[in-house]
Amino acid sequence: MLSEGIREACRWLQDLPLSVVVRESEWLFPTIETLHVLALVLVVGSIWTIDFRLLGFGNRQRPFSHVAREMLPWTWSAFVLAAAAGSLMFASKAVKYVDNIPFRLKMLCLALAAINMLTFHWLGSRRLAEWDTGTTPSSAKFAGAASLTLWIAIVAAGRWIGFTT
Amino acid sequence: MISEFCDWLSTTGISIAFQSSTWFVPLVQTMHILNVAILLTTVFVVSLRLIGFTTGRQPVAELIGKSLTPIWISLGVLLLTGILLTVTEPARELLNWAFRAKMILVFVLAALLGVLQNRNRRSTTFGSESSGADATARIMGVALLLIGTAIVTAGRWIAYVV
Repeated sequence: MLSEGIREACRWLQDLPLSVVVRESEWLFPTIETLHVLALVLVVGSIWTIDFRLLGFGNRQRPFSHVAREMLPWTWSAFVLAAAAGSLMFASKAVKYVDNIPFRLKMLCLALAAINMLTFHWLGSRRLAEWDTGTTPSSAKFAGAASLTLWIAIVAAGRWIGFTT
Repeated sequence: MISEFCDWLSTTGISIAFQSSTWFVPLVQTMHILNVAILLTTVFVVSLRLIGFTTGRQPVAELIGKSLTPIWISLGVLLLTGILLTVTEPARELLNWAFRAKMILVFVLAALLGVLQNRNRRSTTFGSESSGADATARIMGVALLLIGTAIVTAGRWIAYVV
């Protein structure tokens, strides 16, 4: 299904000196994986805090904008670390990962989570001032539920990679 | 003795049933990680406020009070999913030094959280910015941050050491 060009790019990536070092070192891959897991759990935990508020769980008196402002720096800084560590892990065994179904599902869910977040940001939060406190509109609830579900799928697919490679 | 216990546990009906499933371990591990996400994020948010690294509109005492419910619930689910994983692969967990280190750290974390809960109940200004440099709160914040990180690190290394 994948074009030969993508496979060739994966082979090139995997043969880079850095990728070889990560692959052949006994401690480097587990260390990078530990950083990936630490960052990923912070991404999921901070995004879920926002999703739960969108769904109306927890303290509804706390304005949504306050929750988002406090959690988003956690999300973005942890995401940068998770993506950097994940890229190194991918580069070390790119040829194997690119054909792995759970890996592909994880990337698909990540893309869907990004689309969901951007759509909510551009469309859903325009009338933020009207619902910042109290009950959230159904569009915001939908975005929260979609994000919650997609991040469960991302973690599950990520875990399944370890059992299928 | 632990080795014999592991041998016995791995031959019980329930352990064999879990072992024979291809989806049980990844499913339970996924639930375990999702609860680590809730626990670690909540602990980190509280820790950085206690250290004074972050500020927020919510008073520290209120933040601690509201954070303790998700913290204890996620710890309970982690204990349950952890037991299921141990029943499935007893030797992989109980004979592993990273697992043993993780368990000691989890115990210390739970004890520290208990102390934090107690202090917060007794003093409404615990860890508050207005109460000046609260050394105990800062030390607790640093300890929670380091122990939380060490638990996740030890947990990941169970797969790589014996």
